[in-house]
Amino acid sequence: MRAAWIQSKEALRLRMIRPEQIAPGEPEAEMPPYMESLLAHLRLLVSVPFEYLVPDSRLLPDDSIRFFYLDRSWTDRLVDGAIAVGKIGTREQAHHQAHAPAVDQQLDVTERIVRKIQMRSGPFPDLKKTNDKDPSSNGPAQVITGFLLRSAAVSGWPAMDVRAYKTDLPERLDPSSADAQAAQLRTLRLERLSPSVLIALFEGIPQLVIIEEPHHAVQFGVQPAFGGFNIDQRHADGTQILDGSPPNQVTRPLFVPVRQANARVLSIASLRRALFARQNADNMPRETGGASLAVEVLNPPWRQRFEGTIDHAGGGGTSPGFLSSISIAVRVTQPEIRVALQSALQSKVQP
Amino acid sequence: MSDNGPPPGNMYLYDNITPPLLDGSYRFNVATDTKIDGTDQNLPGATNYFNVEGPRFTLSPALVAGVFPPRNGHGSFQENLPHIALSRRTLPWERALDPQGLIGVPTRGQGDPPPPVGPAPWVALLLFEEGEYTILQNQPLESVVPPDVYQRLGSPANINCDAVQTTLPVLQAVMPSVEELTVLAHVRQVNKDDRELSAGTSDGWFSVVMSNRVPAANAKFCACLVSLEERSDVIAKDPPQDFHLVINAGPIDHGVAAARVAQPAALAARTPSSFGRAELAHFPGLLSGVPVREPFPFLRTVTLVLLYSWKFECIGPGSFRDLMQGLDVAMFGTVKNPGHPPVTDTGHIAISLGDRAGIEEKALYRSPLAPFQLTRDSLGPYHSADQCRRATPETGAEDVTYACAFEVGRLVAAADARLAQELMRWRREAYRQSARGDTLNAVSTAIPVVQALDVHTPVVPVVAASATERVLKGRGPAADPYGVNSINQVIGLNPAAVQDAFQLGSQAEAAAILGANPGALGASVSAPAATPRPATTIDAVATDTAALQNLSTARDRLIANTAQKLGGKA
Repeated sequence: MRAAWIQSKEALRLRMIRPEQIAPGEPEAEMPPYMESLLAHLRLLVSVPFEYLVPDSRLLPDDSIRFFYLDRSWTDRLVDGAIAVGKIGTREQAHHQAHAPAVDQQLDVTERIVRKIQMRSGPFPDLKKTNDKDPSSNGPAQVITGFLLRSAAVSGWPAMDVRAYKTDLPERLDPSSADAQAAQLRTLRLERLSPSVLIALFEGIPQLVIIEEPHHAVQFGVQPAFGGFNIDQRHADGTQILDGSPPNQVTRPLFVPVRQANARVLSIASLRRALFARQNADNMPRETGGASLAVEVLNPPWRQRFEGTIDHAGGGGTSPGFLSSISIAVRVTQPEIRVALQSALQSKVQP
Repeated sequence: MSDNGPPPGNMYLYDNITPPLLDGSYRFNVATDTKIDGTDQNLPGATNYFNVEGPRFTLSPALVAGVFPPRNGHGSFQENLPHIALSRRTLPWERALDPQGLIGVPTRGQGDPPPPVGPAPWVALLLFEEGEYTILQNQPLESVVPPDVYQRLGSPANINCDAVQTTLPVLQAVMPSVEELTVLAHVRQVNKDDRELSAGTSDGWFSVVMSNRVPAANAKFCACLVSLEERSDVIAKDPPQDFHLVINAGPIDHGVAAARVAQPAALAARTPSSFGRAELAHFPGLLSGVPVREPFPFLRTVTLVLLYSWKFECIGPGSFRDLMQGLDVAMFGTVKNPGHPPVTDTGHIAISLGDRAGIEEKALYRSPLAPFQLTRDSLGPYHSADQCRRATPETGAEDVTYACAFEVGRLVAAADARLAQELMRWRREAYRQSARGDTLNAVSTAIPVVQALDVHTPVVPVVAASATERVLKGRGPAADPYGVNSINQVIGLNPAAVQDAFQLGSQAEAAAILGANPGALGASVSAPAATPRPATTIDAVATDTAALQNLSTARDRLIANTAQKLGGKA
């Protein structure tokens, strides 16, 4: 016969010496932190084999992006399956049956910090404590949407920026502005599944998704010109200096000489001299060193916009969210190109 | 620099970030200067050495956060300057480029900007076209750098490194001058909130080294991050001459002008003489500055320590923008060639699976990524995969979607030993709690407690208080709490008995004898009537012979009594 794991006398003693039975405020379905964290990760399909996400490779061809709604039932079954480990009898089943609503509810809250855990912004208990108290994280489970992107851009441009917005914000969009912040959907997951496949999950239905070139890899660019190259002069904050009045604004080019010995080698010293001569005008950066030069030869990161628009596939009319036929609106961030397009097409180009 | 990074979507640029100590060997001396009562009491001094080490002849690929153009990338990069982002913000400034100042001070002319702030980096990103360079792997350092440089580097023994070899004219054309080197490197701080997670986590700081050469179209290039430490032999203090177009070079026919517009650079490089005599002076390296003893300067090779290199090809569309614009955008479940694979309206696809009998059958499966919004199944939880199997009403085919999900979850969890342990712990804790709950229920049935018992609150005080109260209620009132009745039964303390025994006039008298003083018991007692005393004098008293007689009789009796007690004598 198995010995009881605790004697009644001892139990009574423990009962007497402990000031309380269970720490106050500790819910009864409290999961161990490791388990809670792992199940929350599972909720967002972390560690689910790729074949289950994309059962046929033709569903995600090369150079494609596929938007989706996450099937909550699927992830619930995933969690059920994980909890089924070690479920050997009716006692475990009864226990699971009784605790399932509480577990679901807790995971709906905890899945919102998975990205913070993945970014290693702190130990799980601390993150959980903050998150559980945060009213914005405590709402009921939202619809989760996202996309899979298979492209050479994923491997070539690691750490790109991805944001989703619940309203279709017009360009020029400053992600740090209050409007943009208020409309931004929480990013639940943004991760590479393989060198060329990226998955993103958002909480809510976006009207606008933007993918930006990674900021640490912002390129430096020049435009070919007669006998050398041109760059656009920029303010100290990196925006182009525009001449003229909208919408016919044009950038102010600056000629960059090249070396005599090799016409593809920029004469950095001459460029710096030219920038120095202009540094006091138009809020241009002071020419102190590398940073001010970098601002001027910057090519702003390309921002690709994916917008929910009118459904052209069926007779569905305007869609509440993004629909199967998502049309890509090509946004041109550089105004002069837009001007050129407008004049070339002589038609309405959506700004 | 504050720890707060830039707001989302922004970045900060810094000219440079220098480490507190450059890499190298340091010596520190410790000495004390103490005097006690005028005499030196110094402790013996000590000398110690320490090294600050960092990448020098090799660079770990883990330090490379990103490169542009992408490694082995194909694309239209001919308008972009290659650059490399290093995940250590101080890396380019961790070593001194030229500690002895052998390069010299750049000449400063009218209108020149002040020298850039901060030291020059010890690394540079050089771009070579295919055919201009040779990459040598695992070379001894002695064979890579000239002897004097090797000596200035401190003659480190047994160092093998990679190297890039090129000819002197190619290098001179590409190599930035010392000030150009300084401005080609900077530090960036980016916001990392909305970034895709790469393998390594980063603090958002990067040092960036740019190249000064723009790749040409339809060519292959190799970008080389080279170490220039002590390489004053290849770094010029002033940049070489710029290319100037001479507009007034005499009559030019339209054909030449058109060619120039199209490809001025190529024209300049290939046919310098076509610009006329005035332009020849702009090629001093080719015509005048060559020492006679070295007739073939373009054959002289130069080797540089190579830290990191990557190749790319400038061909076709391949920029981030082109890739993004070329994406095939659709909802999940859309296929390029409809019917391959066949996707049902519900987003399912048919898969074949072997059933329990080993027979191959077709079943439907849908990935968790659905092309439309689905209702969340509220019939949870499920306890086995079979419970989640469904048959589709239209075709009767089996839908194994959720059974698959269940099994994936089970397998993922089973592969994780720690999770299994935590599950056990979770259940055990829950069983223990439910056992406690049961105990408390039993207790509250047996003892009606004053307040509901809860596993979260202390139970003992509640139960103890309730129990005590209950015990007290069950006992009833006490018969004679102070024993007064018993005492009344004692015969000697009963006033009636006392009256009877002593034949007193009244029972109240007996009670008074027994001490039942109403005053002592708190009753109000009237004061006794005072005896009237007539005013008299001593003479009146003396004349009262009768009283005097009584007094003397009493005195005599007292004396007689006393004498009798003392033995009969008077």
